[in-house]
Amino acid sequence: MEAMVGKQPQPVTIAFDVMGTDHGPAEVVRGAAQLSLDSPHIHALLVGDRTLIDNALAETKHNGERISVQHAADFVGMDEKPGEALARKPNASVSVAARLVAEGEAQALVSAGNTGAGVLACARHFQLIPGVRRAALATVYPTRSVRGAKEDPFSLILDVGATVEANAEDLVTFAVMGSAYARIISRNERPKVALLSNGVEPQKGPPRVVEAHARLSEMGAINFIGNVEGIDIPKGTADVIVTDGFVGNVCLKMLEGVHETVVELAQYAYKESLRWRAGLAMLSSGIQRIKDITDWNQYGGAPILGFDRIFIKAHGRSKARAIANAGKVAAKVVANNLGQAIREGLQK
Amino acid sequence: MSLPDRIDPRPPRRIYRWDLDKTYLQTDFDSLKDLLRTAFQKAHEKVAVPGASALIRELSENGDSRLCIVSGSPKQMRAVLEEKLKLDGVRWDEFVLKDNVGNLLRGRFRALRGQVGYKLPAILESRVHAPVEAEEVLFGDDAEADAFIYSLYADLIAGRVDERVLSQVLEAGGVYPDDAERVRAAWKQIAVADPVRRIFIHLDKLTPPAHFTPYGPRVVPIFNYFQAALVLLADGHLSAPQVLKIAVEMVQTAGHNIITLSNSFQDLLRRGLPLQQAAIALSQALEGPNKLLAAMRPMPDILSAFSKRLAALGTPPPPPPVQAVDYVSLIHHALPRNHKGRTKPSP
Repeated sequence: MEAMVGKQPQPVTIAFDVMGTDHGPAEVVRGAAQLSLDSPHIHALLVGDRTLIDNALAETKHNGERISVQHAADFVGMDEKPGEALARKPNASVSVAARLVAEGEAQALVSAGNTGAGVLACARHFQLIPGVRRAALATVYPTRSVRGAKEDPFSLILDVGATVEANAEDLVTFAVMGSAYARIISRNERPKVALLSNGVEPQKGPPRVVEAHARLSEMGAINFIGNVEGIDIPKGTADVIVTDGFVGNVCLKMLEGVHETVVELAQYAYKESLRWRAGLAMLSSGIQRIKDITDWNQYGGAPILGFDRIFIKAHGRSKARAIANAGKVAAKVVANNLGQAIREGLQK
Repeated sequence: MSLPDRIDPRPPRRIYRWDLDKTYLQTDFDSLKDLLRTAFQKAHEKVAVPGASALIRELSENGDSRLCIVSGSPKQMRAVLEEKLKLDGVRWDEFVLKDNVGNLLRGRFRALRGQVGYKLPAILESRVHAPVEAEEVLFGDDAEADAFIYSLYADLIAGRVDERVLSQVLEAGGVYPDDAERVRAAWKQIAVADPVRRIFIHLDKLTPPAHFTPYGPRVVPIFNYFQAALVLLADGHLSAPQVLKIAVEMVQTAGHNIITLSNSFQDLLRRGLPLQQAAIALSQALEGPNKLLAAMRPMPDILSAFSKRLAALGTPPPPPPVQAVDYVSLIHHALPRNHKGRTKPSP
């Protein structure tokens, strides 16, 4: 439930890093413009090349009362090395946006640009929440089962790349943060949290996973269901799956690879035989439904967890709808005070 | 035309022309249901666009202006509309409504929806009686053809549009011959002058601002009347305390806040409107203790937010170029909203 003032949700400003995405600045501007029409309480602060933003905005239906612009002369491209690029470009849009969030001009940051640059910009401008040693990059993926009041088909997996080597304490912290996030976004009061391992038994896995298992088992505040295996990820056995950044990133890439292979196989089948083509045509409405349910555009983005400010990372290929939804996710996280929820979770 | 609400013997220095529906009043007539509800609304049920009545009141405070209203609402609504204006403390000098029953009885069906054949002769005839030096500011909206008609009116009396273009526009706009004759007759009586300073288009339908670029910088699309007040401050029609009063009314009655007002300010800056001096004048108006300040508690914060929005843009953008309006190529803007020839604004 969103924090309300009377019956009106509290105004919230979301900074959008407009630059460096696969589809160009106009798509992010269109997403923010759509948000200005859909969500009166959300104000968009567009950070990037002012001329590009203004040109796109002038051509797009929007509410000018809910949008402002911060000029940033540079940006980090998708193929640039984050550390080097941010050092060379102190006024890169993602860095300026992170600074504005840190200064309180906006309450959250949304970026569809270079992930590494986003994480690094946050690390430079935001503070880690007390008790959090390392931040975690989360992502969502579609599963067979749904969860929470929203019947959310997406599960959360973290970390997928921010912290390559996590110790047991980090894994416990990730579990607390992921649980708090899922509770807010999926409206799931008791999200099921699991550790990713090579077997469901508590003693399976490397020492850090075994130790984290033991510690999480004793934490009543978290609905810890134990270990899960890779096969459980797409099944949706857990609502939040916790792992370190190295394993999480491998899993993420594998899930993406499987998805692409399935699509390629379907295209192959479509070309190869008339009967298969007819079969696919008969299944098309069902396939479309599954596609709609699991469309990541509707989810918008996933968070970097652990900082005192909110950062939602949208997919680099995000179009306007995904950007608008990422803005809504960010606003919801702000309204429900995720940072406080994580602090409380860590104290229990 | 009814008797004016006030009779001021002095010649006006400024004339403010207003449309009513979607410009002054928040009106829905996109469906038959909306249309019926609007028709049967009582005066106290009608709602003005936030800041509109405050702006009109402040403009009339200067004492040397005239308020002329030309509305597409039917004449039968005169009583309720006049009552609404009086409830809002708005005093008018001219109030023209559309004779839809007359059009219906005479079988002039194009005139029921047409805008050019109604508004253009009405405002030209009004100008005939105005002093040649009286400057004008016009207020319309993006629902119909206000930007087109107001710009054409301004360029006609400034002598920038010739008879040939006018004839093409009147023909393409489906104007009946007698209305076209009224246009020509009034036009010929008006001394050539260039009195129209601004044309404000209230973005009721949130039409993208670029839609109005072909009309040049004289036409200023606005999301709210605080924006109009800022431009009128820069243009010398309002003082800074008057703008602050309008802002306060919008904050207190329509849920506006620091963010919406400062975003509105920056929106105009980004479109090249030179408002830096206006911002300084607002700051100065708030200096020192006075009673106005006490009622404007959020104002210092708003000015701080203005400064930030100004700084956020870096170098101020150049003002948009002045250009001749090509009315023949824009004729589709003058067609009724549901006409198949009308180009839809970008999504």
